[in-house]
Amino acid sequence: MQYWINHNGVQSGPVDADGIKELALTSRAYVWHPGLSDWVKITQVPELEGLYEVVDEPATVGQPLQPQNTAPAQQPMNSQPVNTQPEGAPEPCPPTNLVWAIITTVLCCLPAGIVAIIYAMKVTSKYREGDIEGAKRASEVGAWWCIVSIILGILSMPLISLLQVSSMP
Amino acid sequence: MRRTLVIVLVIAVLLVLGFIYYALDPATSSVFPQCTFLSITGYKCPGCGSQRAIHALLNGDVKEAFGYNAMMMVAIPWIVVCLFAESQRTRRPRLYQRLNAPLLIWLFLVMVLAWWLLRNIFDW
Repeated sequence: MQYWINHNGVQSGPVDADGIKELALTSRAYVWHPGLSDWVKITQVPELEGLYEVVDEPATVGQPLQPQNTAPAQQPMNSQPVNTQPEGAPEPCPPTNLVWAIITTVLCCLPAGIVAIIYAMKVTSKYREGDIEGAKRASEVGAWWCIVSIILGILSMPLISLLQVSSMP
Repeated sequence: MRRTLVIVLVIAVLLVLGFIYYALDPATSSVFPQCTFLSITGYKCPGCGSQRAIHALLNGDVKEAFGYNAMMMVAIPWIVVCLFAESQRTRRPRLYQRLNAPLLIWLFLVMVLAWWLLRNIFDW
């Protein structure tokens, strides 16, 4: 089972049970997983019991930033389980392609990998600003720069070698 | 099934490439491609010397590998840690988040650019 977490306004996920342990959550955290129609308090998810620290509950702190309506917990639960995320549910950060950016910088001679590194940085910074769409775009553009770097690197190197051999006296 | 096939293929290609780079020295052999950026501009790119460095590394000569491309030697452990974090993303979300933090990527970028500049000034 994969979970999405909103802890003190910070969203993360998807994570599994081990990941939840690592996030060092408190009972103020909110959880969503496929099958739930909306965010629930972590204390209402029995299978996660013991994976978070139980703390005193200030009235307002820990309220998730999203969804905007503040009454999901009071609403009657949707009887039909849903497998799509509710409105405003956190989306995982799109891939930064950082590994590929580094590999292409080191191995492909065209410095296109550097552009891919810049886009990797954009993905996380936009995601952290809450601009999911921007993060997705940066992720895609960055991936294209990696591909361009690899293809141009593979194509251009033999060509250059041939030119050098043919221009030798 | 398909995933296994892809993994086996990738490992096979890596083994073949590894053997080629272990057996032949790019510094003396002409079968290896030369850097396009260097050929066109006359300046080294951040990745120049990686092939010789890999050859040196596969033959156990870490010091020589550093001499050919020191940045690659820094990048290798970075790549390994990033791949590990990627595969453990749902299990260790914080490791992934920290490695992909803008500040850390920015530091790597600065390192690459500084390396690029300095190696062309001091002929590293």
